[in-house]
Amino acid sequence: MGDAAAALRAELRGLVAEHVPQDFLGAFTDDPADLETAQRFCRILAERGLLCLAWPEEFGGRGASVWEQTVVREEMWAHHEPRGAQYMGVNWVGPAIMRHGTAEQKAAHLPPIARGEVIWCQGFSEPDAGSDLASLRTAARPDGDEWRVFGQKIWTSYALMARWCFLLARTSTGEKKQQGLTVFLVPMSAPGIEVRPIRSMLGPHHLNEVFFDGLRVTGADVLGAVDQGWAVVQEVLAFERVGIARYARCERLLQEAPTVLGQAWDTLPAELRGRWARMLVRCRRARLLAYRVVSLQAQGRVSPGDSAAYRIAVTRLDQDSGEVLMEIAAYSPGSGRLAGRFRAEVEDHWRYSQASTVASGSLEMQRILLARSMLRGPARAS
Amino acid sequence: MNIDLSEEAAEYGRQALRALEAAGGDRLVQLAEQEPGRREAIVAPVLGELGAWELDPRGDPGELEAAAALCRSAGYWAVAYPLAERLSRPADLDVDGLVVVDQRPAAAVAGLDLRWAAVTLSGRRSRAVARAPGGPPRAHAFVTGLDLEPTDSDGGGDVALGLVLPCWTLLGMLDRAIDLSRAHVLVREQFGQPLAAFQGVQFQLTDAEVERCGLEMLATYALWSIQAGRDDALDDALALRLAAVEAADTVFRVAHQLHGAIGFCDETPLSWVSRYSQPLRRLPLGLSATREALTCRLGRRGLAGLFSETP
Repeated sequence: MGDAAAALRAELRGLVAEHVPQDFLGAFTDDPADLETAQRFCRILAERGLLCLAWPEEFGGRGASVWEQTVVREEMWAHHEPRGAQYMGVNWVGPAIMRHGTAEQKAAHLPPIARGEVIWCQGFSEPDAGSDLASLRTAARPDGDEWRVFGQKIWTSYALMARWCFLLARTSTGEKKQQGLTVFLVPMSAPGIEVRPIRSMLGPHHLNEVFFDGLRVTGADVLGAVDQGWAVVQEVLAFERVGIARYARCERLLQEAPTVLGQAWDTLPAELRGRWARMLVRCRRARLLAYRVVSLQAQGRVSPGDSAAYRIAVTRLDQDSGEVLMEIAAYSPGSGRLAGRFRAEVEDHWRYSQASTVASGSLEMQRILLARSMLRGPARAS
Repeated sequence: MNIDLSEEAAEYGRQALRALEAAGGDRLVQLAEQEPGRREAIVAPVLGELGAWELDPRGDPGELEAAAALCRSAGYWAVAYPLAERLSRPADLDVDGLVVVDQRPAAAVAGLDLRWAAVTLSGRRSRAVARAPGGPPRAHAFVTGLDLEPTDSDGGGDVALGLVLPCWTLLGMLDRAIDLSRAHVLVREQFGQPLAAFQGVQFQLTDAEVERCGLEMLATYALWSIQAGRDDALDDALALRLAAVEAADTVFRVAHQLHGAIGFCDETPLSWVSRYSQPLRRLPLGLSATREALTCRLGRRGLAGLFSETP
């Protein structure tokens, strides 16, 4: 990855060690101190120019290499994403506004994201539009020079704490369902929005319902062109091709296991140690597949099939390693802070991994994308 | 590490693929099975014309990549010849090739007039003489037992390449199995539409492809580890082998399932590629023994990566 990436990794690990409590399991828990930790950590990253590392310098970034961006993804996910929900604003809301926003929108939104001050949520999924996103029904109906939004979003992460929503709504009906969709940037404090949290095994704040009942939006809230929102969303999804570096947390926990277990490691069944070794190989495999996507993306020749293959590998790794780690954790010594923290991390990892084949493009969608790529492309030998 | 082989090595691999096709392609393995005594004469000349025996994979990083690319192309056509083993020959022994062995030494080297060295995972080396195979190649795929005459314990540095190059051959076989399956499901129609239109078929194909492309990445990594002279090159080779054997299981299972009965027939290349993948998947270590060997070597330190002591 190069010297710059290695130095960045060391810097990030130093900051995590200094500013993130060892028992931190993410910003979204029942303890408000965890969210404060994340917000404080974002400010620290922002002050050092590390929060929006990948952004162009004109917008407050460093124009970092794809490999430096990869290091950030790995280190943050490995340490339970101490940026909290900020990754969303940094990774794709900000870049989408850079590409499609007006001067006013850029001035209003980019600096707060770059400073780590604002949380965004994504108003995409609906009760009847999950993987088939273009079937969404939330509609922005014309009302004079404005629109009034009616409808419901669901599975919206961080909606309760978000200040802004990246909302996709229907503004007209075209020949295809992908036509007539528009992206609106709407403040969550506006009248006409109600958020209802959904209690789930993933923990608080991960899943919410968001109801729109006459929310007033204007042309100034539109990102890009009216009725052209699908193209914006496709770009947004492309920013996330590599997505979360799930392999990094799997690898950290697997690699730590022998140390945490101490002498108890030798009491593990040989078959379980074998599964542990296999999971380490799978971590390496997923990491290399991610690097392949990053490399191809940098060369401008990545296909949806390439990223789908990686995502299939990494989400399965997430769940498979969760199973192995849960079994290993059962052998960890009963007392002691190190073992207790490990068990908590593993339990959190297992629980959260259950959603990895569902969230951000389901496993089935990834398989459809990969199959399409395989069957439509040329044969390998040609 | 580099994600891809060098363009020179990749081009060499493509040229080898075409040259092997021109020399007979799928017929090469069939001829070798029909006339086992002429195996050398059927296969070795075209490999010689490709410059295989001048490659110095242990001495030159570029030629190591070329050797890997050549093995992959040979695997694509299921060439029944110990190419990877010949390219793995130790630099300091006057032999024609190297095979990695465990407690029951055997390799797919039957009926060739070549001088072999054998090495265990722990680096013990021997001169190896292939016994006469029992039965026709149809039954043993040229695998035969080896008589060993111990020589030294200096082969620790020989083992990784001896494990990695055969995995490149197996990778070529998986490339082929997926290409064959893809072509078959695109043309074979049932219920009025190509098999490829069925999602149940598509998803099986994607499972196979994820295994194949993951293996490709690990194969490139293990090659880089040897090139870089890393201490844990043997760990990386065993990690590769574990993934290769698992991937082969998935890919061939899917390939046979999608081909249906036609895939068992000798008129289809899958039947040949599948059978001749067996020695590569079982020797020197099968799935369980490979995993055990890797687990034993990793101990408590794990595999080099983002969070290991040695990155």
